Amino acid sequence: MVQSHRGRDSRLQFFYIPIGLGGIALMLGLVFQQVWRSDLAETKATNQSQNRILVPGPRGNIYDREGRILVGNRPRFAVVLYLEELRTEIYREYVEIRKAYRAANDVDAPSVTQMSQIARFTVVQNYLAKINRALDRETELDARSLNRHFNAQRMLPYTLIDDLQPEEYARLLEQLPVNSPLQVYTTSSRFYPYGAAASHTLGFVSSNRDIEIDEDFPGKDLMTFKMVGSKGRDGLEGRFESTLEGKAGGTVYRVDPGGYRVEALHRRLPVQGENLISSIDIDLQLAAEERLREYDLAGGAVALDVNTGEVLVMASLPDYDLNDFSPRLTQTVATDINERGAWLNRPVNGLYPPGSAFKILVTIAGMQAGTITPEKTINCGGYYRVGNRLFPCHDGHAHGEIALKTAISKSCNVFYYQHGLETGAHAIARTARQLGFGEPTGITLPSETRGSLVPDPDWKRERYDQSWVPGDTANFSIGQGYMLVTPLQMATFTASVARGQTQTTPYLTHDPNRPVQQTAPLGLTPGDYSALLEGMEECTISGTSRTSFTTIRNMRIPGLRVGGKTGTAQKRTPKGTINFAWFIAFAPIERPQIAIAVIVEGDAPGEETGGGTYSAPVARDILAKWAEKHPELIPPPPPTDPAES
Amino acid sequence: MPPDRFDTSKPFITLAVLVLVWFLVPTVAKRVSRIGFYELQAPVEVSASYLRELQDYWSWRTRSKTDIYNAYQDLGGVAAHYAHAAEENVALRREVEKLETLLRLPTFADYRSESARVVSRDLNGWWQRLIVRKGSAHGIVKGAPVIFAGGVAGRISEVHRTTAVVDLISSSSVRLAASFEDDDRPVSFQGGINPPFSRPQATAEFVPLDLYATPAKPKALVTSGLGGVFPRGLRLGTVTILNPSPDGLFKTGRVFLDPRLNELTEVSILIPLDPL
Repeated sequence: MVQSHRGRDSRLQFFYIPIGLGGIALMLGLVFQQVWRSDLAETKATNQSQNRILVPGPRGNIYDREGRILVGNRPRFAVVLYLEELRTEIYREYVEIRKAYRAANDVDAPSVTQMSQIARFTVVQNYLAKINRALDRETELDARSLNRHFNAQRMLPYTLIDDLQPEEYARLLEQLPVNSPLQVYTTSSRFYPYGAAASHTLGFVSSNRDIEIDEDFPGKDLMTFKMVGSKGRDGLEGRFESTLEGKAGGTVYRVDPGGYRVEALHRRLPVQGENLISSIDIDLQLAAEERLREYDLAGGAVALDVNTGEVLVMASLPDYDLNDFSPRLTQTVATDINERGAWLNRPVNGLYPPGSAFKILVTIAGMQAGTITPEKTINCGGYYRVGNRLFPCHDGHAHGEIALKTAISKSCNVFYYQHGLETGAHAIARTARQLGFGEPTGITLPSETRGSLVPDPDWKRERYDQSWVPGDTANFSIGQGYMLVTPLQMATFTASVARGQTQTTPYLTHDPNRPVQQTAPLGLTPGDYSALLEGMEECTISGTSRTSFTTIRNMRIPGLRVGGKTGTAQKRTPKGTINFAWFIAFAPIERPQIAIAVIVEGDAPGEETGGGTYSAPVARDILAKWAEKHPELIPPPPPTDPAES
Repeated sequence: MPPDRFDTSKPFITLAVLVLVWFLVPTVAKRVSRIGFYELQAPVEVSASYLRELQDYWSWRTRSKTDIYNAYQDLGGVAAHYAHAAEENVALRREVEKLETLLRLPTFADYRSESARVVSRDLNGWWQRLIVRKGSAHGIVKGAPVIFAGGVAGRISEVHRTTAVVDLISSSSVRLAASFEDDDRPVSFQGGINPPFSRPQATAEFVPLDLYATPAKPKALVTSGLGGVFPRGLRLGTVTILNPSPDGLFKTGRVFLDPRLNELTEVSILIPLDPL
């Protein structure tokens, strides 16, 4: 019998209250979720349904001072496959594979994941086979790389073949349908039109930069896929990273639950980084490197604009072809560079005793101290006795009665032993520091050495706990002993001497409005300074001692008066004593414009690697090219007296 | 009397049945019916084109004898000019063959040409197509280049027995490897969306940065011959401005195509002798 409950039934009221309260709680919960927490829900929905891809902006170019491109970007064409467009195809293949295994009743049938991987591999392999046929290639598919890409970077196109040749790119352009999942994709990599030229100065990039996009680009909290960017690692590329790096671009995509792209919601194109105009003159750079390369020895050359300090040449041998770094450096090439000792940027990181080129500084120190005058002579008997030890001139060659001008041109050691001792180590060291030795030059390169050394008695006591002896001063006076300099320091020193000042700051960027550098004067009388320059000019004209390995051959450049000084420093090695050949020069002597320092490292003990034979020709080639390019900067010769002619 | 409920819903049921039947029909049958549709449609279009030509013929017949005589004279001049050019071509071809033999070079006679009348034009914003009166019966193959007096007209996209569909180079579905007249490097030529009655345009992409074009010094874009489909040196259009792309890697430019593309009456199809 059915009972009806008309009217109020007090027993049911026990259920109404909890059900009502439950309903109210649910309603409040719903309102809370929908109204108060709607932002969170929306964010979650957005994060699950949108992804974004960031692509790096190409780096800025580097030009030489005349606007010739030294480092640019080379387009790289790759053929890529958009996996999201293969979903249906992959699923069909998966169904076929599953059907085949079921039909075969195979007990060892692969798992669902494995069958998915097989299906994916098969489909992608088919596309690769099409490309191989079109390009007549035999590229194979790497299953592991495909799986890795699919799991981690599904939204990014999968690269089938990288770095296509122009003909291959053209062929695919014409043969692939516009709407194919296969497409030709472009990226950029660094390109160096001059190969190894100025390789240490320009530097290189590595392709592992984690790119970032501006804050105002939407989707900061979205799952983000990033293409790999490049980062400057050395030279100008490293030092001017913030200038050269491009601005990343990106696209925000709506994606389906499988993570495949549906449509683009926001797009921003990548923007190229700013360009950099370096101070290098590639013509002079090539001239220097060409000559240095002939020797098959290590070495370096630096040329500066005397007035502005801009670096015109910075060459270091052995070097490396920067194109080998692009798109990435292989282990083989890295090992080769390592074995050849080519990583070292000799002009800024190579430390050498300055040899006889240092006599210019000793002359200045002596003139400042009043121990050296243009007229004062000494008698060079081929040796100079300091205590119980005989210090030789060049191989014991006696110059006889000799004054400053000839002492510089013939590089007489005895002259400088005597005057160095008269001047004193402290005074020489003070002048050396005044002229910039012992400290980095401050050039805009990432890793200039701090190892440059100006010794003095205090230093020796502190370093070796030994007294400074007169023999140390004698060695110091001819640029031997503990003194260590870089070729760049020698170049700034030469530029300073050419201007009659004490400091030159080198710059690697070109500024057409850069002012002429003005620093403290050398503190020489005009007569002393003139005698110094005469000696340096004479060195490039008649420094012709046959027995001397500092002989300068073919230094003359018609119409150009050059001041220079050779140097041959020695270093003891386990194999024997090897030579470092120096040459410093500036020109035109009447109105200096360019200052040069060259070093060539001998590699065989006993071999006469002299400054005049090895380094001077490098400087000559730089000067010849400079004179060819800037005839307007060469003062005309003084008018000759008709009666005299 | 109210209509029977089945009667009112009959059209929907019929439609549903038809959709279901179409869904169940095997893919092969669908493909056959689609091809059949085109093959059946083709004679209608071909006949229509013949009728149009007949109409043109009779419209000429209504002209006065003087008009016809003048036209004949003009035509005679043009014919003589072409005859002369043809003779020159024959002489040049012999010269080339002789040089090829002497230098033992491979011959470059990679194509034979097949002239075809345009049956109809299907020009709209999204695609620009022609139907020509030659098909697989005449050796036409899919993908074959189509040229006209002004250069490249397009590419064969569909081939039927007696007709073929040509995608014009102004169509967004056409992309080919081009190069500038005085430069060998390949660039991408991509057709675009061209509104009806406008001068057809396309886009040149991936242009090297050291190439320049100005309205005063426009650059001619030609086929590169590197793509393997189009022979080298066929004119595509003219580029008057090249702008650098924001990423600084390339330049892009608008390619102005020959306006005659919209009114083609006859084209020539290049049939590869050694198809890819």
